[in-house]
Amino acid sequence: MPIGNTQPSVRPAQAGRTGGVAVTSSARDGGHLRRAGGGLRAERLAPYVLVAPAVLIIVLLRLYPLLLGVNFSFTGDGEQNGTAVGFDNYRELFADPLFRTALSNVGLLVLLLPVAVAIPGLLATFIYLRVPGHRFYRSVYFFPAVLSPVIVGAIFNLLLAFDGPLNAVLGAVGVGPVDWLGDSDIAKFMVVGVHIWATFGMALVVFLAGFATLDAALLDAARVDGASLPQVIRHVIVPSLSRTIQFVFVTTMIGMLTSMFGLLFVMTSGGPEGSTYLPEYYIWIQQGQMNRPALASAASTILFVIMLVVGLLQIKLLERSGKED
Amino acid sequence: MRQRAMWSAALVVGLALAGCGSATGSGSSSGGSDGKLVVWDWKSGEAFAASYLEKAKADFKKKHPDVAVEFVAQPFDQYYTLLGAAIQSGKGPDVMLFNGGGQIRDRVDALVPLDDYVADDRQRLAGWDAFTKDGKVYAGPVTLQGHPIYYNKELYRKAGLDPANPARTWNEFVTDCAAIAKAGAKCFALGNKEGVGIQFWLSIMASATLTAQEYDDWVAGKRDWNSPNVKRIFQLWKEAGDAGMNSDGANSTAMFNDSFAIFQSGKAAHVMGLMSDVGHWQDFTEFLTAEKLGVMDAPVVTAGTTPSLPFDGGIGYGVAKWTKDPKVAADLVRSLTSTDALKAFYADAGAIAADTTIDVSQGGPAVTTIVSEIKSGKPALHVALSSKTLDLMGRLSQQLLSGSITVDEVVKQLATSDQAG
Repeated sequence: MPIGNTQPSVRPAQAGRTGGVAVTSSARDGGHLRRAGGGLRAERLAPYVLVAPAVLIIVLLRLYPLLLGVNFSFTGDGEQNGTAVGFDNYRELFADPLFRTALSNVGLLVLLLPVAVAIPGLLATFIYLRVPGHRFYRSVYFFPAVLSPVIVGAIFNLLLAFDGPLNAVLGAVGVGPVDWLGDSDIAKFMVVGVHIWATFGMALVVFLAGFATLDAALLDAARVDGASLPQVIRHVIVPSLSRTIQFVFVTTMIGMLTSMFGLLFVMTSGGPEGSTYLPEYYIWIQQGQMNRPALASAASTILFVIMLVVGLLQIKLLERSGKED
Repeated sequence: MRQRAMWSAALVVGLALAGCGSATGSGSSSGGSDGKLVVWDWKSGEAFAASYLEKAKADFKKKHPDVAVEFVAQPFDQYYTLLGAAIQSGKGPDVMLFNGGGQIRDRVDALVPLDDYVADDRQRLAGWDAFTKDGKVYAGPVTLQGHPIYYNKELYRKAGLDPANPARTWNEFVTDCAAIAKAGAKCFALGNKEGVGIQFWLSIMASATLTAQEYDDWVAGKRDWNSPNVKRIFQLWKEAGDAGMNSDGANSTAMFNDSFAIFQSGKAAHVMGLMSDVGHWQDFTEFLTAEKLGVMDAPVVTAGTTPSLPFDGGIGYGVAKWTKDPKVAADLVRSLTSTDALKAFYADAGAIAADTTIDVSQGGPAVTTIVSEIKSGKPALHVALSSKTLDLMGRLSQQLLSGSITVDEVVKQLATSDQAG
């Protein structure tokens, strides 16, 4: 039955298609002869018509709201709702020590980025080089990536609590308890550390996918030439994976800047002393708790610009290093 | 083939329509027109609110049988964010639940003053101040929220103290705490991760530290941050922290509900808790039993002051500006604050209802003490502050505990923030 049904429907379609091609090619010939005509114009327009839906979706649902948000950031809050206030919101932001802390924490994240990329990169290398138990580790490393940040945060809240297991272990070996999440100098590193732990699985998978495209002959050649493991990594693996590393750099940075909210919310609530604030947490607090949507828009605009600049810079840098290699 | 394509196209269109429908569903159910009122809150989804809502709805139906009421429960941690979006767009629920103090005062632009509608309820209900701005009332109080000091009588006994006579002055209190420390417990269960611990501290210690004049001025908006008595409150906060009176790791302990758990498990003798909702007498009674739970006044710091219970309207319903008929919506607020409804709320949720005529003697000595102190109670000081100043105070209090700021600097920063806001 299915065969009987599909066969006839395919054939006319094929016939129609070939017929169509024949028609357009003849139309093109005619166009060339007449040096004008609707067919040529239609063909020129066709690509634009075809990409129009995608462009429209991006423009209407992405760029337009973005512009609205930027525009909104130049208006006031509360009684001044809707009136233009120029750069007042931006001035207020940069005068707010809390926002400056949030920005300096972004700087800290950028500094810690190589660590966040190196960990999955190194572990993926080991898995690729088939260290004993690599199959086991491959799944174990990925496991935290399937947990929601809220669950991860709750787990580490318990582990890192003042009377929690980690301090109990430290106490057993005679080291005084540390207030992991209550000390403003330590808490931010704990949150970043937990974030890296929770998300490096994704980057690891991307690295493994990159390794799949690696030419094994290069590795064999390097080994035959007597290269050590660090040398293999430096001169063979890193250059071959530059595209992958570039991708992981950019996605990890974006991940750090935009998806640490859940962890912050659960683990520290921006504290202690506001030391773990990040721009997105600041935006949420201003919008939701302080009833300052316009100020929050200004902070969002700044975060967007930071992401844009950081992302473009990274791509530029990595492209250059990729070319040199 | 063609038919299959038709079907899938129909499916896509249908899904898209369904998607649009659900996206706009909550927004379009607004306006209060066509005989329907929409109420936003974060309580109606919970089991304890069922009989409260039933009573309130029945009362409202008597007045307006043709108007339907729809309760939409929002998650509390998102509530003000969602409400902010609704206010921004100028449409949303007709009646909405608010926390008293800053949360409603920051948003009165979107609300209808209720003075004319609720005049008859002014005597029966307490806690209006928290919903008042510039002399106008914007919500009808449902519960009262306040901050008693709860103490564990069992730990007092263990420490050789008289559980019926807790300390009356700060010096006695510090001596008692030393005895409690010897018995192996902390003085205060403190959770200041969210920076809320300082708010309770400020409000509880104020009546025992500030003069009556200073207190009333503060609530009226004339706040003298340089007063030595105001500084003393922050000084005591720091001293209590430095002296190890608080439970360990206060800056990383969540008040809700880790610090209350510390008190419930008998690891600390006192906690500055709440009257309603959570961290309150009903929660503590479950663990400690009613006989072991005591409520005490703040120990006197400045001689000549009379400690009083700091309390305010806890939650209350307000009416949105964009509702079609404010009178009908205000009637719903009145039904939601009727004696019958509030009686059910007290009984099921364990909240101290705004209606002080409700009999609470079944709840145990702690709740009886609290209700008896409402008459002499005063508005809590922290409720008078803006959200922004409270947020700053939270962070500064953490710095005081960690020792990275001085009390003078704290009051200076708070004064600046308070005057700006």
